[in-house]
Amino acid sequence: MRRAKLRFGMLACAVGLLVFLILFQQTLLGTLLGYFTGALENQSADVVVYNEEARQNLAGSLVTIDQLEAVGAVDGVAAVGPLGQGTFTVVAGGEERDAAVWGYRLGGPGEPTTLVEGRLPETDGEAVASAIDAAAGFDIGDEVTIAGTEVAITVVGLASDIRFSVQPVLFVSYETWQDVAGAANPDAPVLLPSAALVQAAGGVAPAALAERITASVEGVEALDRATAVASLPGVEAVNQSFALILLLAFVVVTLVVGFFFLIITVQKLPSLGLLKALGYSSAQLAWSVGLQVLAVSAGGVLVGGLLLAGASLASSESFPISADPALVLTTGAAVLGLAVVSSIGSLRRVARIDATAAVGRQHLGGLE
Amino acid sequence: MPALEMTDVRKTYRSGDSEVVALDHASLTLGDDEILALVGPSGSGKTTLLSIAGGLLTPTEGSVVVGGEEISALDAKRLTRFRRERVGFVFQAVNLVPFLTARENLLVVAELGRRDGRAARRRADALLDELGLSDRAGSLPAQLSGGERQRVAIGRALMNEPALVLVDEPTSALDTKLGEQVMELITSEVKSRSTAAIIVTHDTRMTHYADRTIEITDGVLVA
Repeated sequence: MRRAKLRFGMLACAVGLLVFLILFQQTLLGTLLGYFTGALENQSADVVVYNEEARQNLAGSLVTIDQLEAVGAVDGVAAVGPLGQGTFTVVAGGEERDAAVWGYRLGGPGEPTTLVEGRLPETDGEAVASAIDAAAGFDIGDEVTIAGTEVAITVVGLASDIRFSVQPVLFVSYETWQDVAGAANPDAPVLLPSAALVQAAGGVAPAALAERITASVEGVEALDRATAVASLPGVEAVNQSFALILLLAFVVVTLVVGFFFLIITVQKLPSLGLLKALGYSSAQLAWSVGLQVLAVSAGGVLVGGLLLAGASLASSESFPISADPALVLTTGAAVLGLAVVSSIGSLRRVARIDATAAVGRQHLGGLE
Repeated sequence: MPALEMTDVRKTYRSGDSEVVALDHASLTLGDDEILALVGPSGSGKTTLLSIAGGLLTPTEGSVVVGGEEISALDAKRLTRFRRERVGFVFQAVNLVPFLTARENLLVVAELGRRDGRAARRRADALLDELGLSDRAGSLPAQLSGGERQRVAIGRALMNEPALVLVDEPTSALDTKLGEQVMELITSEVKSRSTAAIIVTHDTRMTHYADRTIEITDGVLVA
């Protein structure tokens, strides 16, 4: 390796680019999914209760007041509250745009959990907005009006990662949501909550509670928060697409490292045979190959991590890319593990080297 | 104690249904500071005998004792250690590790042995100096002349103070004059250390450098 720094360095850089690709895709996936699901993921309710015909889609769900009360009576429910959710055209920063309005009972289940600035709403007409949209007219103190109506909402807090369906989000009181929905649809005969939000009692597992609610309340389907997030429309498809791309990238890393070291090993067979004749054991030779594989892969992970850090610094506020050290470590460990697996071909070849090959043959050791 | 005692050694290979005899009931005793020239035509069994004496091959039958140690029944792991500690090889066509310098080619042997790093470096430098290669220590094999490579190979064979040095066709890639210089060097280095050596050659002009010459034909030793 010392005598072929360029060759091994180039391989480490190639692996580094692939590692960067993997890290970038994972970061992209996280950011993208966060934009789709953030509001549901980062609110305080443990269980979300849909109408059973809604197919776990908030946009198609309505829960009656009777059902809400029935949910509250289920054993293990500490608190229950309504969630009113809908997309409305709003005027923010002087421009019209779509925003998701989430109405929850103030102090009850459903409040945003990732507040980064300001405070939670304390009264009607106040909102916590998604921090990433602050500059677009959703900053603390900004007033957002529902287009075509007199309903105005003042932003009093900002929370991170609470976008929904890639739209800005306003967490407001349930009553404010009713005002918004009523103003936008003046002909609606009655406004019902989209879902019921449940806080589980201490020691009660949300998944088990969700099953109990589904079984005991007629016409509803309850899901724990993680399942509800994963069941949102599009999430599974996005996950599957990215999983396929990531799988391909991991396969390419494995093949690149594996073939490189197999070629290097085959090129060096005469020298390795000589070393074996001189008294190196197969284990010692395999260990040296294994160490080179690990060194190149670790170099690749370092390069990939640095590139991600660079991308993170260069990323924009509207689409931030965060260099998560845990992600780099887990991906790095996976790449190192796969690199070792990929070197099995080389190691097997090393184990089969015949020491007698060093005797009685011309032109060994790369010399004429 | 003899450096090598081979008693009734046979080496056979299967080739389809037939058996090929590479070495046929070979018996040989080598004194502890004796240099033996083993001559014979190609395919006569010279290299097989050398490989068995050096623990690279195990005999089909017979006994091989090197420096008092019976090696014919050793497993692969013990044979590896035996090669590492008891014998020095000078392979045909020099056979250096091309990506290591002359000095590193010597040290690669010591890395495996019991020697600590500093003592090994001192010995490697002393050997290179003795072989007239001090100023070439940092050169890669490709940067050395044929004679220089051969000298590095000799230095490597002596690095671990072996009981037996095995030299395979040391002059095959050299012209007569250089071949004689190399033979002189090998014999003087081996003699000065009171070490035994077997030099395999098909070049009968070089046999006068040895204490004794044995011929081998079709796997049979002829004194």
